[in-house]
Amino acid sequence: MDHHQRWHPTVNEREFIERALQSDLRVDGRRPFDFRRLKILFGREDGSAEVQLGDTRVMGYATAQLVQPYKDRPNEGTLAIFTEFSPMADPAFEPGRPGESAIELGRVVDRGLRESRAVDMESLCVVAGKHVWSVRVDLHILDNGGELNVPDAMVLSLRNLIDAANIAALAALSTFRRPECTVGGEDGQQVTVHDPEVRDPLPLTIHHLPIAVTFAYFGEGNIMVIDPTYKEEAVMGGRMTATINSNGDVCSIQKAGGEGVMSSVIMQCLRIASVKAADITSKIKNEVNSYTSAKALQKVKRLPASALKKDNAPDVAMKESSDGALETQSTKPSSDGQQINKEPPSVVEDNKQEDVEPMLSECNPEAQSETRLTAGGSDETQEAISPKSLKDAVKPKHKIKKKQHSKS
Amino acid sequence: MEESRADGRNPNQLRPFSCTRNPLDRAHGSARWAQGDTIVLAAVYGPKPGTRKGENPEKASIEVVWKPMTGQIGKQEKEYEMTLKRTLQSICLLTVHPNTTTSVILQVVGNDGSLLPCAINACCAALVFAGIPLKHLAVAIGCGVLEDGEVILDTNKAEEQQLKSFAHLVFPNSRKSASSKEPNQKEEDSERGLITSITHGVMSEEDYFSCIERGLAASSRISHFMRTTLQKQAPGDV
Repeated sequence: MDHHQRWHPTVNEREFIERALQSDLRVDGRRPFDFRRLKILFGREDGSAEVQLGDTRVMGYATAQLVQPYKDRPNEGTLAIFTEFSPMADPAFEPGRPGESAIELGRVVDRGLRESRAVDMESLCVVAGKHVWSVRVDLHILDNGGELNVPDAMVLSLRNLIDAANIAALAALSTFRRPECTVGGEDGQQVTVHDPEVRDPLPLTIHHLPIAVTFAYFGEGNIMVIDPTYKEEAVMGGRMTATINSNGDVCSIQKAGGEGVMSSVIMQCLRIASVKAADITSKIKNEVNSYTSAKALQKVKRLPASALKKDNAPDVAMKESSDGALETQSTKPSSDGQQINKEPPSVVEDNKQEDVEPMLSECNPEAQSETRLTAGGSDETQEAISPKSLKDAVKPKHKIKKKQHSKS
Repeated sequence: MEESRADGRNPNQLRPFSCTRNPLDRAHGSARWAQGDTIVLAAVYGPKPGTRKGENPEKASIEVVWKPMTGQIGKQEKEYEMTLKRTLQSICLLTVHPNTTTSVILQVVGNDGSLLPCAINACCAALVFAGIPLKHLAVAIGCGVLEDGEVILDTNKAEEQQLKSFAHLVFPNSRKSASSKEPNQKEEDSERGLITSITHGVMSEEDYFSCIERGLAASSRISHFMRTTLQKQAPGDV
């Protein structure tokens, strides 16, 4: 991460920060083992969460689709975590080209979450060897902390994004719901994916929440703080990220170089981390609970509308390949002859309107002002995009490339 | 008549709008613009010195980066970027800062239809918050044409599935004259030309003009909203 240009403290600044730390004082007024203020917000859609840790802001978004499992694990689903530094957080990040720190960030979150088996993978299996759910978490770094007195491109570092990104991934996964599907048919191979309006989507089985806690070491490795700011990062001798759950199980430890630290200090760090992990776990759980209960209340209100739709929304069915209908497949057809026949839920307009007099709306009186624009005003930027069907144009492209899964 | 749409709106009714000023610390200007459940976060950096190769150095250039919620950027997103770039170029005063680049980054936070209009509105608000000199505001509206030729405004995702065609229209903001208390609405609106029009699907000429007419009428409401939000939040700024 040091290949970027960074803020270089003067000797005085460096001494000031270190001296203050010796008497347990930090430049932003926190105590050594305090996190910055943590705020978790959830989007309207399931599986989207925004985490604010101090002035760092990360958005997590979880999605899933049915894929063929890996050959060596035929009865397990997959989980992949994608991180990209958005130029929104820092104009120096280039889109589409993840830097060194983006890769480190992604890997640490991935190891802590996936390799600690926090999410139950076997429950994501639908038909062993044929269909499993592949869960994808996208982490968007929206804001990388803004210190007004520091010029741009000088403070490009991880800036403790790991902790925030990890919490964002956990929050997104905790609220994520996958559509329910059942296996049926003559040979027991036919998979039916139920519309979320018909059957409630299912949450993931999450065994534990691994929380990443980052420590910074100063002096001879005997002074440490958690959740360092960028000023402390510029001065610190080394950094370690411990991913630990509330039971005290260590899920991953990342210490990439830096000053050597005594094993006793590391033991102390882990004890502190497990306390912090318990704090944050309860915080996440509380937020998720209040979100789910709010969502449940919404559902009760919405029931009449969804009941109307219920009759008209057919389940999306997966059939054996006979009719070869390929038009609207979002899931890749599997090689061994299984094809997915998706019918888009056609919602019939219930209240057909005879009276098509649109200007008679009371709610918006401004819209009644009738003015006709001459066609001449429109010709300069008008685009004609017709060959694609309308449905294609409207549909957002959630294309997940298979290649990316195989690398992780 | 009243509940003609699935969510209970009437054809000309827009979803509730909201705009947050500078939600991000680091960006020079940022805005979170929400139209119902469609939410777009826009951040503006710049103007920073130098233009990219191929851009006219005698004018300011604008670059637009679109970040989808999930996955890679595809053709559709590239098209959005291009549309946004051209639209923003037409509303910015490009000669004030020659040989500079202004970056606009968009992050989709929620998508429930009318994504591009929402993004254009978000960009416009972010540019204002960043203090980029503009000729006027850009106000975008999504109009959809149903099978029976009915035009609905600010379509949501469920509605977009049933549309025959749609048009995304961008207009300049409605002018507000300081002199006369009662501005002549008709005269005022007729001066406002169309900045951008993106249509998908087949629609008759009549339908298109009907879209423009409704869109223009609705845009004055959006521009009023935009103006009040921008004004209301201005004094608290540094």
